[in-house]
Amino acid sequence: MGNVTLRGVRKLFGSLEVIKGVDLTVTDGELVVFVGPSGCGKSTLLRMIAGLEDVDYGDVLINGIDVTDMAPARRGVAMVFQNYALYPHMNAYDNMAYGLRRAGLRRAEVDPRVRRAAGMLQIDHLLDRRPKAMSGGQRQRVAIGRAIVRDPKVFLFDEPLSNLDAALRIETRAQIAALHRELRATMIFVTHDQVEAMTLADRIVVLNAGRIEQIGTPREVYHNPANIFVAGFIGAPAMNLIPARIAARAGHAFLLRLGDVVEPVELKGDFGGSTGDIVTLGVRPEQVRVSEDGQPAEVVLAEHLGGETILHLRLAERPLILRVQGDLNVALGAQVPVTLDLGGASLFDAAGTSLRRASSG
Amino acid sequence: MTALPTGTAKRRTPRNRGGGWIGKVMFHALMLGIAAIFLLPFWWMLISAFKNNADIFSLDITWWPDPVRWENVVALFTRPDFPFLRQFGNSVFYAGMVTLGTVLSCSVAAYSFACLRWKGRDAVFALTIGTLLIPAIVTFLPTYIVFARMGLVGTYWPLIAPAFLGEAFYIFMMRQFFLGVPRELIDAARLDGAAEFRIFWQIVLPQAQTALVVVALFSIVYTWHEFFGPLIYLNDRNDYPLSVGLFTFRTQRAVEWPITMMGSLFTALPLIVMFLFTRRLFREGLATSSLK
Repeated sequence: MGNVTLRGVRKLFGSLEVIKGVDLTVTDGELVVFVGPSGCGKSTLLRMIAGLEDVDYGDVLINGIDVTDMAPARRGVAMVFQNYALYPHMNAYDNMAYGLRRAGLRRAEVDPRVRRAAGMLQIDHLLDRRPKAMSGGQRQRVAIGRAIVRDPKVFLFDEPLSNLDAALRIETRAQIAALHRELRATMIFVTHDQVEAMTLADRIVVLNAGRIEQIGTPREVYHNPANIFVAGFIGAPAMNLIPARIAARAGHAFLLRLGDVVEPVELKGDFGGSTGDIVTLGVRPEQVRVSEDGQPAEVVLAEHLGGETILHLRLAERPLILRVQGDLNVALGAQVPVTLDLGGASLFDAAGTSLRRASSG
Repeated sequence: MTALPTGTAKRRTPRNRGGGWIGKVMFHALMLGIAAIFLLPFWWMLISAFKNNADIFSLDITWWPDPVRWENVVALFTRPDFPFLRQFGNSVFYAGMVTLGTVLSCSVAAYSFACLRWKGRDAVFALTIGTLLIPAIVTFLPTYIVFARMGLVGTYWPLIAPAFLGEAFYIFMMRQFFLGVPRELIDAARLDGAAEFRIFWQIVLPQAQTALVVVALFSIVYTWHEFFGPLIYLNDRNDYPLSVGLFTFRTQRAVEWPITMMGSLFTALPLIVMFLFTRRLFREGLATSSLK
């Protein structure tokens, strides 16, 4: 299939730099997810790979060939859009066949490719229908079909699930994952939904303000965030970020001053940082526990999600979020004793960069 | 399945939002009155077309022709001094060609302004809109001199050719419509390998049918009534469109009002029929153009 390389890619809209030098290699058959907040440049980056946006500086290579100045249709990429972008005046069959006809394929070549893709996506019965006679999920499947028939080197998905309702989103997400396994195709998927990113990706690229903040597997990005931005962005609810100071350290054993309290912590992994450094401790909500011998924290908000409960607490005048399994019945304003399981915590320096050393897992 | 409420429960009547019945009657009476003001001249034209001069000018006003003089219809189509059918054909040709030119040129220009990115686009668009501020009469003389030097006075070229060069108002209207076409459709077509003109012709233009109908109808109505241009550029009675033909017939045969009215009736009829057939698209097109 195809691999994609971005070398020092930059993009300006007028004097505003929206992509600030991106270097990235997506290997053959990989599913990479670009994730980041609105306006971080993830869709622009995808459109630059597709050739729909000009690249101001740097190069885009597909299979080692520089395609930076190549027309979109000649790059061997296919794209699925958020709003489906099906041609409203054509039926599903013609929508899927349009690109093949433009490529000069004859009817005898077009027909089996369209029907095979329709079979894969179970949309055979929709081929005669126009988009307005289809549901959102059906339209998106036709849009995916339109990408499949072109047999592209790289599939590009621009928030394809955003317009679908919750149930359909899960179904289509599973379908895309299955498609990736079946086609073994290179796919780049843009989303702002971290659940999609975590469940689909071989690797996640976290973008912020036109820069890559971290590239890694979903586990790496979740458990070892490269900086405070990634720590706060990946994971819902977000990681608790607690200001601290290193009172003393010996190897993996730290004495951390958290407000008035000094906590001994044995961190998993190899961390930098010296005695006296101001740091930020990152603790996932599931690493905060309700425990009889813990410090009392006031309940500010309780979100009951059925299978789990998310408590928004106030501990020593600081907000703290806790996630517990099951339906925990607590009143607002009540005091809940909590302890922090700091073994798996992250540690960031004053600039917000992780103090975890690269070799440690 | 949910059962309907039974027993003493009484379904609520919808709240009256339009005032009492007196208000409704007054409102409709007012509307009918206003409609009558607009329809009266048309009705007068219609009944005069089936009267003779004496009946038209009779002090005893009648609102229905008695007798109905059907021979006026025959006279309109057979009089040697009023080539009505020929002039009707000229009008159809004139309006048709101008409309074709307007729709083609304005949609291409509007697509460029709305969907393509090129340097100076917004400045050129502002300049195009700026031409609306120049009264047509200002440019009329130099344009006439150009066509006269080209030896085209006395032909339809000076009347039709400018329509193929765009018209600022219609370009603006269509641009507004094209701005509403999802950008992703164009991107998808580009990825599918369609060249720019094909994207315009096969993907974008089919989405703009209602806008095309509105522009076409405006153009037809305007050209059908256009008087000054044909009067200046055309010299032969057989070349005149109906707008000028009717005028010259009336000025030459001042007393023959029934034929003039019959001519006016048959001049207005095609536009009315056309509007009746396209009114849904026309209404939708106007609404979408103004909303976007």
